[in-house]
Amino acid sequence: MAHRRCLHSALLHGTALISLKKSPPLSIVNALTPKPNPVITTSNLEPSWFTPWSYVRHFSSRKSDDSENEAEMEDSSDVEEESDEMASDMVRDYSPGEKEAEAAAIGYKVVGPLQRSDRVFKDYEPVFAVVQIGSHQFKVSNGDSIFMERLKFCEVNDKLILNKVLLLGSPTQTIIGRPILPDAAVHAVVEEHALDAKVIIFKKKRRKNYRRTKGHRQELTKLRITYIQGIEKPEIKTDGKPLKAADKKPEKIAAIAQERFSPHGFVLQNNGCLC
Amino acid sequence: MALRGVWQLKKLIVSYCDWGGSSRGIRAFMESELPTFKEKNPQLEVVTELIRGQHPHLKGFYKNKNERVVCVKNMTPEDILLYGTRLRNALGRKVVKLKTRHVTKHPSVQVMMATLLKHSLFGGE
Repeated sequence: MAHRRCLHSALLHGTALISLKKSPPLSIVNALTPKPNPVITTSNLEPSWFTPWSYVRHFSSRKSDDSENEAEMEDSSDVEEESDEMASDMVRDYSPGEKEAEAAAIGYKVVGPLQRSDRVFKDYEPVFAVVQIGSHQFKVSNGDSIFMERLKFCEVNDKLILNKVLLLGSPTQTIIGRPILPDAAVHAVVEEHALDAKVIIFKKKRRKNYRRTKGHRQELTKLRITYIQGIEKPEIKTDGKPLKAADKKPEKIAAIAQERFSPHGFVLQNNGCLC
Repeated sequence: MALRGVWQLKKLIVSYCDWGGSSRGIRAFMESELPTFKEKNPQLEVVTELIRGQHPHLKGFYKNKNERVVCVKNMTPEDILLYGTRLRNALGRKVVKLKTRHVTKHPSVQVMMATLLKHSLFGGE
């Protein structure tokens, strides 16, 4: 509304100039075309320019007139604007270079080759990473599944490398990125592209006879995390685990660890039940 | 859809009618896009079935014995391809609202350490 009022006032000023000069430069005329001028009558300006608006009557500030104004405004301006918007909204054919750039920039992922009999699904390792995709961050470990917004440039059974890693942790080491760790990478496989369950968006204004129902199904992608690289992993089935106090671990446990376990001494034997 | 590398959609039945107008799209789809779809998915068994006098639909059979039916009456071939791809991309699971976005069997790495310590406290003293 303020926009229209500004235009209105601008037009008034403009037309004052025009009425004085009686031969408007084309630039002013073009700027003024979106809105018909209420003050001007056809006699002042060239009739050819004003024929579309010749049936215009004097406008007041009533709502009905505003809506008519809008309609006329929209007819002319929409045609130009729509073409610009449509170009960006419609599905574009991306070139492969563009695809990778967009994927890397927006989703922080790089699509690797498809899987062919790779042994990617390993057992659980006690290592975690905090990874960011798009605007969401997840704390992931080996073998986890993540439901994400639909990732555009990958098919099912594609390997991905998520390179925006914010934190890596393991029983022996913690690496904190500022804000990203450049050498770390998390490997994942696309499991599924599916639609979420339907959510019904119901709008109602009581006593106003207004009720709207809209259904929405969000498109999701399910990723399975396969491998985290960039951190030293604890070796299972060795004689002693090196017990360095890691930053992230609570100090209580670290203190206990230092108290209870002497450097030589404590051998963490894997009976198979713990790890 | 591929659970740990294994495709979940086993069979796709494309049912159509050769007389009805609602099957026009699917008949065009069968001529134009079904062969490429079959080639792209060699693991999938695609069967066409004639059902006269009924609306066309796509039936997908998944490995977990789940069946998903999509009615494709009065659709364009591109839309039918989209639905077919969606069926292929999905797991056979029931579509319910997600409880969490992060599904894991090992929510905490520290639990492992704590259990190790606990065992050591009881056993090592």
